[in-house]
Order: sequence, then C-alpha cells, then structure tokens
Amino acid sequence: MSTPSFMHSNQAIAEGAIAAGCRFYAGYPITPSTEIAESLSGRLPEVGGVYIQMEDEIASMAAVIGASLGGLKSATATSGPGFSLMQENLGFAVVGEVPCVIVNVQRVGPSTGLPTKVAQGDVMQARWGTHGDHRIITLYPSSAQEAFDLTVKAFNLAERFRTPVILLSDAVVAGLLEKVDIPDPADLEVVSRARPTVAPEQYRPFDYSSSDIPPLAEFGSGYRFHITGLLHDESGAPTEDSEVVARWWAYMQRKLDDHLDEILDWDEILLDDADTAVVAYGCTARSAEHAVELARERGHRVGLLKLKTIWPFGDAIIDQLADRIDRFVVPELNLGQIRLEVQRVVGGRAKVEGINRADGLQISPEQILDVIAEKALA
Amino acid sequence: MMTVETPEMTTWESLQDVFEIVSRRGPDPIILSSIPYLPGDEHRHTHFPVVLGPPGRVISMAVGLRAALPDTPLLLVTAADSATLGTNHLIHTARRNIGMTVLMLYSDLLETGDIPVDRTGWTSTGYQVEMEQAETPLEWAVALQASLVGRGSLLNPSEFANLIVEAVETPGFSVIGVTGDPTLRTEVMSRRSDWPEYFATYRAWSEGMAPSPPSSIRPVPPAQPRSSTPARIEVRIAGIGGQGVKLAGTVLSEAAALGEGLWATQFGDYGSATRGGPSRVDVVMGSRPISYPAADNSDILIVLSREAAAAHLTHAGPGAACVADEGTVEPGPGGPLIVPITQLAREHAGTPIATGVTSLGCVAALSDAVALSSLKIALPTRIPERSVESNLRAMEAAYKLTADLIRGNQT
Repeated sequence: MSTPSFMHSNQAIAEGAIAAGCRFYAGYPITPSTEIAESLSGRLPEVGGVYIQMEDEIASMAAVIGASLGGLKSATATSGPGFSLMQENLGFAVVGEVPCVIVNVQRVGPSTGLPTKVAQGDVMQARWGTHGDHRIITLYPSSAQEAFDLTVKAFNLAERFRTPVILLSDAVVAGLLEKVDIPDPADLEVVSRARPTVAPEQYRPFDYSSSDIPPLAEFGSGYRFHITGLLHDESGAPTEDSEVVARWWAYMQRKLDDHLDEILDWDEILLDDADTAVVAYGCTARSAEHAVELARERGHRVGLLKLKTIWPFGDAIIDQLADRIDRFVVPELNLGQIRLEVQRVVGGRAKVEGINRADGLQISPEQILDVIAEKALA
Repeated sequence: MMTVETPEMTTWESLQDVFEIVSRRGPDPIILSSIPYLPGDEHRHTHFPVVLGPPGRVISMAVGLRAALPDTPLLLVTAADSATLGTNHLIHTARRNIGMTVLMLYSDLLETGDIPVDRTGWTSTGYQVEMEQAETPLEWAVALQASLVGRGSLLNPSEFANLIVEAVETPGFSVIGVTGDPTLRTEVMSRRSDWPEYFATYRAWSEGMAPSPPSSIRPVPPAQPRSSTPARIEVRIAGIGGQGVKLAGTVLSEAAALGEGLWATQFGDYGSATRGGPSRVDVVMGSRPISYPAADNSDILIVLSREAAAAHLTHAGPGAACVADEGTVEPGPGGPLIVPITQLAREHAGTPIATGVTSLGCVAALSDAVALSSLKIALPTRIPERSVESNLRAMEAAYKLTADLIRGNQT
C-alpha cells in the first residue's frame, strides 16, 4: 500500500527524511532549497524531532554532526554558496565517520551566481569539495518520486556506512510539482547505524579489523571515546603513527569500494538495441528522456543511461556499455564534469560528446535530438 | 588563522581530574575542544566523550548535541584565540541558552610561542598578552549576558568541579576562566538568572503540535486518463511576480491529476525579485508519464504582461491557442484572443493577485483536458477560505468570456 500525493521535489525530500527517521535538521534557508527547510520546520516538531535555523551554513553542518553524534539521524539542505561553507565540517564528518545527509539544490555559480536559475555545476564539488583525498557518496534524483526514494536511500547509506551522504538536486527538479507514491512505513526499508554490543571499556569506534563497518555508539550512552578531525587510532585518539594512518586509508577506500552493489543506482531506458547512449542525471535526464522518445519516433537507435548515484562513479556500468555503444552523448548544465568521467572509462572505445550550458537555462530535448541526429546525417 | 594554542600536557591532565569529579556528581560530561587532547597513559582508556573539532566550529556542534541529549553536561574547553575564531558561533550559541559551559583557558596555561610581528606592527591573531588582561574574555562573557561567569583554579580540582556542576545546573550559558596561577582562587564573578533553556522551551512548544500531513500535500488517485486525452499537452502561463502565476500552475496541475486522472507536472521559473519581475509557470499533462516538464512548444499560452507577450507569443507554435490579457498586445487579425483577465480578477476577487487563477478559466475554455469542475476541486486547498468564492467567480467569468470569443471566431 502507498499513498500517492502531489508535491514538489523539495517537499518530497522533507517527507523522505521524515520517513527515513531523520529527527534533526539544522540549516540556513537559501534559494532554491528553502522549501526543504520550510517543510521540515513544520514536520519535525510533529514527530518529536528538532528543526533549528542556524546563524550560517558552517554552523548548520556543525550542528548536524553534533546531533548525529548524539544519536539522531540528521540532515541539512542548502545551495551552492552554503555548500561551499559546509566543506570544512563535511571533511570532519568524513574523517570522524559521522553519518549525516547534506542536500545541495544547485543553482548557477560560482559565488552568488544566478540565485534562482538552474545549474549542475557542483557535481565535482560534491566529489572533491572538502580538502584531502577521500571517498564520498552522492545521489541525484530527477523527479519528485526519486527525490523521496533517494532521500530515504541517502539516510540508509549514511547509517550503513557511517559516512556523510550528499544528495544533489537542482533548481528545476526542486520546483517540480508531481505525483509521489509514499510507501507505508511497514513497506519501507529503513537502516539505522549498528550500535556496539561490547562493554564500554572494550569499545573501539575505529576498529577496522573486522570486514564490516565498526558500530557507532552515541555520546551520552556511557561509551567514552574521541571523535576528531585529526587522523586517529582505533580508540579515536589522535595519532601520527604512519602504519595506523595507512591502515585507516585502506579502510576508508574499501568501506565504499567493496559495497558498490549497495550504493550504485541507475536506470537503463531503451539501451538494449542502442548504438547511441545519452548519459544524464537530474533535470537534464528529463530533457534527455524526452529527446530519446522523439529520436526513437524518427528511427534512431538511441537509449538513456540515467545516473542516480553520481559518486562513486559507476565505472562498471559505462564500461560494459562501451563495448557495444558507438557514441555517448552527455548533456550537462556545466562545462563537462561527468563527460570527463565517461571519457575516462570509455578510454577511446567510443565517441564521447558533451552538450553543455551554464547560463541558467535548461538543455531542451530538441538540443539533444539535434546532436543525436547529427550522426544520421554524417 | 590556524594558530592553535597547546597547553602544557599537565593542563589536560589536571582538567581530566576535574572532569572525573564532575562525572561522579551527575551524567558523564561531553568535552568539546579544538585544542589537541592527548590523554596521558593513565587516562588513556578512561578519557571522556570528546569532540575535537575545527577551531570555533565545535561550538556549533554543541547545539546539535544538546538537541539530542537534553541532560548531558557540555563542556567547551577553549582558549580566547579559538573562541574568537568562532565568535559568530559563540554569540549565537550563547543566545540559544543551550546550557553549554565554556572553560576558557587563561594565558598562563598557554604556550603562545613567538608571535610573528610584521613591520607595520600588526601581530598575528594569537593571544595578545601585552594588550589584553587574562580575564578580558570573562568581560566578554558578562557582556554576552552569560548566566554564570566565574574562575576555576586547577590547583583545587574539587572546588573547580563544584563550580562546573553549578554552571551546568544553571540554565542558559556559562563561562569559567581556567587558571593555574597560585594567586587566583575558584569563585563566581557574575550571575544572571531567569534564562530559559532553549530546547526545553522548544520541546514544550512542539509537544502541543498535532501530527498531521501538511495541507499542501494532496493525496491523489492513480492516473486514469481518458482514452481521448493526448499524450502530452503543454500549457504556459507567463506574467510578472505578484499576479499569482505560480499558484495558477499549482492549481491547474493538481486539477489535472486529481480531477482528471492525468499525469501532470508543474514547473515554475521566476526571477530573484518576487514581485514585478518576470514569472512563468509551465504545466505539462497527458495520458502518459511526463518526461520533460517545460512547455517549450506550448499548446496553450496565456500572457499576462507586455513583457510576457513579447517574450513568449513569437515562440508559440502554429497550432497553439493563445490568450493575452487586455492591454498587453495590439489587437489584430491572427493575434491571440484578448480577454481582460486582470480586470476580471479586480472586479470579482478585488485583487490582481487573483489574475493567474482567473486565467485558468481561459485554459478550461481552450482545452477539454481540464474541466472547470476539476479546477473547482483543486482551488480551495490552495487559497484562504474567504477568497475561494470570489476567485471561482473570476475564473468562471474568464471561462465564459473565452468560450464566447471562441464561438464568435468560429461563426
């Protein structure tokens, strides 16, 4: 059973957060993400959670980390300027392995840019925005339904892998009002972090000797341990021992790399007999899907690979397509951030072309169709 | 920027002794700091829950911890340097009265090292021993209206622990200077009472809230389009901010989904200014799920301002049905139908904010896809009850005028 409702994607993100068990939100409202804060300011108190408007996005991210350490599933939402401010504490959450969800509804940047206009320019910032090498999970919906579903997934992955998860959206997806099926709570898979079962004095929050993710005790539950941005030993205390640090790096890579089957999410649309694949995500995937429909009517053998997990990048998906696809077309509202990833994986086996704009307008289906049709003329 | 004072190891060791006493008198405190806390061997496996974060930022982490843990003592150990780096956060956290206790290390505990001085005489941000008194930060705390301001001496852990317990139990926000100076004693220096505890107040307020889905979320039946409905109908309504354009799109898309059982999307584009700037809403509806949500090839186009007419009428396809508000275009053969939409809104609803909703009457007259009756179902949840009837009258008037014009054109 489910309850279909009509709502904006931003509202769907708020509802997804509530359904996933989010009970703390700290943020600073910013266009085009504001409806997420607005919705949660009403919804969280209803379910015994806390909504708080902070002084800025630096503090928002800090408060989210604090609440998560206290045991609450926590989130914040922002747009580019605020996302930049969150990078310092986002790095802390990566190193401290603190589960949380950060929503970035993209608009045109850099800086204040075009505040109300759509862009997809923060794809690489989501990957590399905080300093230092690290792994990160980033999901990206293209509809109100996916906004709900992927928000739930974002919380589940954050809790499962003790990591911050970024949910990217954009000004077009955010403002889309459409039908969303909200599943009954009984039908929804909700994951919560593993808690320690050992006695407090035996607890090691960063013990990587087991193959699985070490459990996380919440502060205030009698378990005494360190959370720090400094590289640390298995008790959490700072260390400069290079062997310990090397072990930490190995773990931080394998904790996501070994579980890609749980993380990667994508849709293949009409790709079975295709010689051309459009690779798209977010609002651009909507244009691309329509373009594929129009192109099919005209006899082009074209399909769509819609990415829902952006990071880690789905190398294996592109790799198996590259053996049978002649041409990849990658429309993006940036100057080619994912196109370069596609090119890297394809490695010359097929042609890779971008369609790019960052002027605040969407890529139209016709623009994509023209590129698809070029090959037919050639 | 990143100067972090390092107290003598003995400072942390001494504080650890104080915390042990505090923890015996109540719940385990959580220690927040930016000063590397390296417990000595004897403390290594008994050290407290510690958040060791970026200078200044741990202050805001305390806000989240408090939301999760209403009764746990939160002790921020800082030097004036780290606190000033996060002064914005310190002031806001203080204002929230979350019951955080700040332990501010006096300069006698800091290894400040050599502070670089450039030739202009500006020093680094490091603690300015020559220019500031050791207790200057406590004067800030009094100015911030902290509920308890005091001094704790590491030389008497038991007295110091008592002061921390008193600070923790005092609602609001407390600041205690920490010193190892043998000439200074543990004492309370300033008290203010009557500060409420932020999250207790918040929870009392929120407990009164009844759980209910927000009214803006509307349950809809599964899509059941009529077989005669086209796969895709694109409607664009364009005007200026303040005409209720976006609201019109919301009502239209909901009417399509709720009343007609169609697939529908609404997508708005608006400028930074909410009033007076260009505003546009696209509704795409049809018998199949909608991929691209923009009405670039509008089947129905409504323009409500001169700017919108200039921007959009020229792009309308040959088959498009276009309606222009009176005064936005020069009337002429082959042009759009002209309906005095703003005038109808003023006349019936008494406000130009109803212009967008009024224009939906035109949409219903131009297409079989969404009936006037479906619009009447969708409208009431989106506007104040007192305005429903007058808005419906304006919408009906626009419907009738448009239908009459269409009939006139056909004969």
